[in-house]
Amino acid sequence: MNLTYTPEQTAFRAEVRAWMEAHVPKEPLVTLECREGYDQHVEWERTLASGNWGMVTWPEAYGGRGLDLIQWLIFEEEYFRAGGPNRANQNGIFLLGPTIMEFGTEEQKKRFLTPMAKGEVIWAQAWSEPGAGSDMAAISSKAIRDGDHYVITGQKTWSSRAAFADWGFGIFRTDPDSKRHKGLTFILFDLNTPGITRRPIRQLHGDTGFAELFFDEVRVPVENCLAGEGEGWNVAMATAGFERGLMLRSPGRFQATAKRLVELYRKHEADASPAAREAVMQAWMASQAYAYNTYGVAAKIMAGGKIGAEASLNKIFWSELDRSMHRTAMALLGAAAELKRFEDGSVNQWLEGYIFSLSGPIYAGSNEVQRNITAERLLGLPRVGAG
Amino acid sequence: MDFRFSEDQLTLAETVRDYLSGTHGPEVLRRLDAAKEQGNAPRDPAIWNGLIEMGLTGLLVPEAQGGLGMGLVDAALIAAECGRACVSEPLVDTAFVGVPWLLAKGETDQLAAIVAGEVKVPLPHAINPWVADDTPSRLRGNGELVSVDPLRCLSKGTGGDDPHLLNLAALMSAAQLVGLADAMLSQATEYAKIRTQFGQPIGAFQGIKHQLASCAVAIEFAKPVVWRAAAAMQDGLDSAPLHVSHAKVASTDAAMLTAETAIQVHGAMGYTYEVDLHFWMKRSWALAGAWGSRAFHLKRVDKAVLGGAQPIGPEHTFA
Repeated sequence: MNLTYTPEQTAFRAEVRAWMEAHVPKEPLVTLECREGYDQHVEWERTLASGNWGMVTWPEAYGGRGLDLIQWLIFEEEYFRAGGPNRANQNGIFLLGPTIMEFGTEEQKKRFLTPMAKGEVIWAQAWSEPGAGSDMAAISSKAIRDGDHYVITGQKTWSSRAAFADWGFGIFRTDPDSKRHKGLTFILFDLNTPGITRRPIRQLHGDTGFAELFFDEVRVPVENCLAGEGEGWNVAMATAGFERGLMLRSPGRFQATAKRLVELYRKHEADASPAAREAVMQAWMASQAYAYNTYGVAAKIMAGGKIGAEASLNKIFWSELDRSMHRTAMALLGAAAELKRFEDGSVNQWLEGYIFSLSGPIYAGSNEVQRNITAERLLGLPRVGAG
Repeated sequence: MDFRFSEDQLTLAETVRDYLSGTHGPEVLRRLDAAKEQGNAPRDPAIWNGLIEMGLTGLLVPEAQGGLGMGLVDAALIAAECGRACVSEPLVDTAFVGVPWLLAKGETDQLAAIVAGEVKVPLPHAINPWVADDTPSRLRGNGELVSVDPLRCLSKGTGGDDPHLLNLAALMSAAQLVGLADAMLSQATEYAKIRTQFGQPIGAFQGIKHQLASCAVAIEFAKPVVWRAAAAMQDGLDSAPLHVSHAKVASTDAAMLTAETAIQVHGAMGYTYEVDLHFWMKRSWALAGAWGSRAFHLKRVDKAVLGGAQPIGPEHTFA
């Protein structure tokens, strides 16, 4: 156990810090969940790419820097220290990218990863269906082979970024007679392919970040299938592991929130309850605990280990931490908590953050499902419904 | 930067775990408890001798003085194993707290005797109104200090306020607490697999699963805090007391949650003296309050973080 950075790691931190200080927009961008904000965030992805910061852990051949996970964590810490915007392409770089790296052909890696790292193609996910939410194996959208194409018919929903993004990925039933986890295939598709209709869904905050997707005999070339036909479930589970495990929510994000919460507490100390004070301390402690744990996971992966079902513990922890930090902030704000903009005109980011944090325990597999996974796969308890 | 235990550390911990699970099972705790009921000390020289033979009394003693010369991170890992097995012999107090405390003070005359297991180091400190030792109060003719933990003997505490002793002991209490929590989760989980009601193991019900999963989350995220505190103490960081306090709070919360959940999962059986769970639960209650309560340690975190002495934010993970 060595908890000090090497001189090279410290120098790398300084390099990231200098670049971020020079380039991160001084004013917060408009929310990613509307046209104007989406365009601003895509512009930011391209600015990041101009500094070659799109996805630092990927090989240089695919638009990355070939850095290790400790350097990635340092990059993320500095990113959030500087107040870097949300990543418009998070579905691509954090979820699909690692999946392509693991399952893609050389040709697919070349074709998809570099434009992803450079922010040239923005990705939406298309997992859920009206009848397949937490129970993803209930997927019924079909992709039927017809020569060198799949013909997709069906419906996806809660597709993050799909209102504005360029491409999407998801799993589809390629064997119409199959049931549950079998007969599914992981397919990448251009969202502008004829036959795809996007219907943006207005979210809790009133903006439209995700969308329903309707597929009406959409023809997608077979080379857009990732891994083999029928392998979709395994590939999707790997993607879900990246989502819940390491990549999607790096600790810097929560440490930055905890720090802002401490600052908010200092402003409102006179009116704050002892419970709020303790909750602020819990926020700092839990965000630190999350960071230590992540450094442990990173070290394990660097030594050749894999993330298994413990990714579920991770997802439960960060999503409930995020919600509780924002709940505490709302309590500290008191009457001002309801304002979308404060009297000085600045956006109430605590309110936006609180609303967004309510989705955390739901997306990427609801926390109820994560607790089932924890109980069944980590603790070895019998599966639900088993006798 | 490598937040992992070495292969050697993991092997050592596994060796100790295997040894204790083979020689120090619940039947040993019941036997010691029965001895105490008879008015004898709840101790067995064979247990202490076994720990000495494994070299654990000398774990932190420098090699020049006949020890293994290991560090506080190694010791914290073994302290967690002592918690897991609910060891009552003063190994953690003497060898993992007393020894580094004496070394820091430059007092080395007793080290050889400590390695040999002939000397147990008392740890007087003002923070503890009473201290754990080997002699039941009944044998001293003093009936007033009886711990809920049947294997923990108490006597009146006195002492100074050496902060280094406090930090060492709070760290090792935290390490024992995560081991205790692990053991309680595992006992509750095993019970939920075999106890059937409504035609299935109760562990198949989500009402049980989700509670146990929440304990697994709390333990998973308490452990790295303890290891980080041990590393901070080992490296002598100025911020080490803060990290020790964080570790004590996180490990206490994980152990208290797991204790309450484990008794609930055991149902009425959990409320009996027959199920061994109570040994671990009561040890957790005792350690939660020893060497600074949750409130004491939370205040230290508060003072450092809200007071501004500790730099916070994403770039200060290891400050």
